[in-house]
Amino acid sequence: MTGPVATSTTGATTAAPAGHLAAQARALVAIGRQSVRSALAVRSEVLVSGVAVLVRVVLVILVWRAVYGSTPEVVGVDRSTAVAYAVLGAVFTNVLNPFWRSSLEMRVRQGRIAVDLLRPVGLVPQTLAQQVGTTAAAVPRCVLAVLLALVIGALQAPAGGVLGLLAFAVSTVLGVAVALLCNLVVAMTAFWTLEVGGALMVYRAVAQFASGALIPLWFMPGWLRGTLEWLPFQAQVFTPLSVYFGTVRGWDAVGAVAVQALWVVLLALLAQLVWSRALHRVVVQGG
Amino acid sequence: MGATAQPMIRAEGLVKEFTRPVRRTGPLAGVRSLLTRERVTTRAVDGVSFTVDRGELVGYLGPNGAGKSTTIKMLTGVLVPTAGTVEVDGRVPWRDRTRNARGIGVVFGQRTQLWHDLPLRDSFELVAKLYGLDQPDYQRALGRFTELLDLHEFLDTPVRGLSLGQRMRGDLTAAMLYGPPLLYLDEPTVGLDVVAKARIREFVAETNAVDGTTVVLTTHDLVDVERLCRRVLLIDHGQVLYDGDLAALRRRYVPYRDLVVTLAREDDGPLVAPPGTTVVERPRSARDTARVVVFRFDPAQTPTPAVVAAVTAEHEVVDLDVTDPDLEAVIAEIYSSGRVRA
Repeated sequence: MTGPVATSTTGATTAAPAGHLAAQARALVAIGRQSVRSALAVRSEVLVSGVAVLVRVVLVILVWRAVYGSTPEVVGVDRSTAVAYAVLGAVFTNVLNPFWRSSLEMRVRQGRIAVDLLRPVGLVPQTLAQQVGTTAAAVPRCVLAVLLALVIGALQAPAGGVLGLLAFAVSTVLGVAVALLCNLVVAMTAFWTLEVGGALMVYRAVAQFASGALIPLWFMPGWLRGTLEWLPFQAQVFTPLSVYFGTVRGWDAVGAVAVQALWVVLLALLAQLVWSRALHRVVVQGG
Repeated sequence: MGATAQPMIRAEGLVKEFTRPVRRTGPLAGVRSLLTRERVTTRAVDGVSFTVDRGELVGYLGPNGAGKSTTIKMLTGVLVPTAGTVEVDGRVPWRDRTRNARGIGVVFGQRTQLWHDLPLRDSFELVAKLYGLDQPDYQRALGRFTELLDLHEFLDTPVRGLSLGQRMRGDLTAAMLYGPPLLYLDEPTVGLDVVAKARIREFVAETNAVDGTTVVLTTHDLVDVERLCRRVLLIDHGQVLYDGDLAALRRRYVPYRDLVVTLAREDDGPLVAPPGTTVVERPRSARDTARVVVFRFDPAQTPTPAVVAAVTAEHEVVDLDVTDPDLEAVIAEIYSSGRVRA
């Protein structure tokens, strides 16, 4: 292999920083796309997870309709908003707090982390690219669930027209970013404890509750809501949904989105910091 | 490949320690294990030094738990050494991890770098993108490996559907696709049948001979070693026991050769051992229909043809065979005694 292949490899290592970054970006895109295909590869799995989210959406609609009964409004939230919120909350949590454990934690446990560490791409960007891919693979089933809710009249279009929809989209992307980074940081504790199954389950329960995916933060007592506002969880689900329903609008919405962006930056820095500490602690399971 | 004087791998006083909390036993063992602050430290690698030159093919041997895989993981940059220095192609692997990754190929026999649910070809395409191969280079390399390792039949089969031998060939291709000058093979033939093993060996030998790829091979299969390696590094309890020529190691342990003779008759009279030989009578097995006798001699002192001529002159012989004692016995003795004879 002294031919052109070897040449191109050495070419890549001596490339200018800009070229290096572009190569890294292409590698990450490739990992992301591979993760999408991998997540969609097993048909029965795709089918089951699709049915699961549809069933969940139908169930939360039934439950919230029953909770309200004939009461038109609870603490200023009307029946149709509460039901619609529950629908979107169910869809968000399906993607952001999945039942399967984080890919990173799984790979540490199986010793497969050794393979990841041998790639010419950093572990943190690599893991994030994988997670973005898996999240993207969940989009079709989410769209399906939202369409179902629209058809049975449990969901209405977002407040604020096209601009509102745009704001919701931006806020959703940031919410997903916050969730992925939170998952990553928690999963990285696997480098210290090796067994984070329990920690991840607790985290998942807290995140579902504190992000407002299960119950809107509107219904929570003032002290609790005040506390949760200082945590990154509400930036995952509650912020995008507040934008959707127009409970924050105008400059408030811009502010809320800015807070999300701030969380993304802080969590990305935290992830890098944790990784630089973890580097020396890497233990690879198995011979 | 620039012919520099700098070795491909230079390891000096490598040490790796693992620390873990003490496991408690008895009542509430789980909770007490969690709460304990007591920790035990084990030294997996304890002061290992060696160099590997460009183009060498080195066997890295040792019993289970000797520290082989831990060393490989430090060389590849997966693990950070507790002490000592390691340089691969002039770089410190763990500090310069991504750059080091471009220059090495790694195959772990016990785990795979391929994507479980996707066709084999998809994994290769991802590897090509990860290592920045352009299409023509990728197609050329893939074509060559498909030919060499006979991948045609299963290029489009999902990896989970491959046999172990096929998966291994896939892993080898993935590791070599981008033409790394250095290849680590960690038990590449473990669990494979004889045909699959032979194919992998052939490929490794060709890669080393034709491309000049430096190969570090870890294995428990001594046939791998005999077929492929001129030089071996023996390690146990984290320390190097032997570093050198394989033939020299064998000579040091077994400076003899056996002439195995089947005599025509059981009652051939008293055995006459030619000068320079000793008779070792072989325990009879059910298959022996005639008397089998072993004449042991040092080929450096007594030439083999002379021994054959002397024996056949004295006895009526129906069959004879000259054997070198196998490497397995040598290695078994080193492992059990924990040291190499001077």
